[in-house]
Amino acid sequence: MFDGLLLVVGGVVAGIFGSLLGLGGGTLIVPWLTLALGVPLIQAVGVSLVCVIVTSGAAAGVYLERHVANLRLGMTLELFTAIGALAGGLVAFLLPERFVQLMFGGLLIWVSISMARRREPARPAEPPTDASAVAPAVAEDAADSTATIPAPEIVRTDPSFIERLSGPGYHVHRLGFGVVGSLFAGVVSALLGIGGGTVKVPVMNVVMGVPLRVATATSNLMMGITASAGAIVYLVRGGIDPYIAGPTAIGVFLGASIGSRVAHRIHVSVLRGLFVAILLYTAWQMLQRALT
Amino acid sequence: MTRPAHVPQDPASPEPADLDRSIARLLTVGTYASIALLVMGVALMLGTGIAPRSGGPRFDPQSLVSDLVALRPAGFLWLGLVAVVATPAARVVASLVGYSRRGERDMMLIAGLILVVIGLSVTLATVLEG
Repeated sequence: MFDGLLLVVGGVVAGIFGSLLGLGGGTLIVPWLTLALGVPLIQAVGVSLVCVIVTSGAAAGVYLERHVANLRLGMTLELFTAIGALAGGLVAFLLPERFVQLMFGGLLIWVSISMARRREPARPAEPPTDASAVAPAVAEDAADSTATIPAPEIVRTDPSFIERLSGPGYHVHRLGFGVVGSLFAGVVSALLGIGGGTVKVPVMNVVMGVPLRVATATSNLMMGITASAGAIVYLVRGGIDPYIAGPTAIGVFLGASIGSRVAHRIHVSVLRGLFVAILLYTAWQMLQRALT
Repeated sequence: MTRPAHVPQDPASPEPADLDRSIARLLTVGTYASIALLVMGVALMLGTGIAPRSGGPRFDPQSLVSDLVALRPAGFLWLGLVAVVATPAARVVASLVGYSRRGERDMMLIAGLILVVIGLSVTLATVLEG
């Protein structure tokens, strides 16, 4: 009973932090399960992938309903995240646990530094309530992102297709880079049990010229398929324990729901500082375990 | 300037906004249904005194129905987890149908290829496990 409660509470905390800071819960769930509860790393990654799908399903529904996520772009890129995730899922069962711990420790440090350097408040991309309100905001974001990006066509693609991947007020560029970034995001997702947004959002926003809020929403949509391709491998190969995955997924779902409701009442910079501290401490623990 | 896409369309084909809305509903329903099944499974698990860290049974499609009928927690938990994992794939199937009604062949191809990759995941994992 107490263990069940711990799993739910851990999931709730990961879900709240994840939704408030725009991260998947995986960065907290995997260390929580392995370091605090002693769950084997491969099982923790499998459980985390399930939680990523749950949060993606709940959030992506809202983003699509409000026309913030770009379905065409998301589907095009998720073909490659899914291929990467399939490869990552198969490789994960061959890698030594210490190697994955080292990678996870490195990931946590990278995420901590990125979060600490972030200037604007890391509120979740709270979409406006109607499509007409979204268009000007997206155009504004697009102006910001494309202003710094020249748009040479590095990879030649059918112009009509790439134009149809673009959205109101912005044009998608450099699809080739997006494809490579998506493959990498998929591999990382399946190896470490994360959504891969830490890779996909910067690639879409900085490299492909997609406005930040569209990139965040589209990445959220893509996470479902990315995590799903990896989770299938874990599920079939015994990498998911239903007794651990069930309570944790419920907790994450509750946490994400709570997070989205209290987001406007919380001073995110304080929360971000706390989160960075937790991530650095967790990274230290993870690296220590890998190296000793 | 965005050039309007020239794609053949059925007069009754869904607009992109309609497709987005349908998929959004599918994702929401799938997620809530999965969570409902998981809640049932966890309630049964705690009710029967099973410790979460005691090591759950592996996924066995053949025992799923009998577990559900016997109200065993593993049945509900596995069905919930399968529903979680299948929801994104259902979204791709819905997109495939939506894009085929709009005559968008390139998006149909992409949706089809995503389903092939998911199919490959199942096949490869099963083969490697077997």
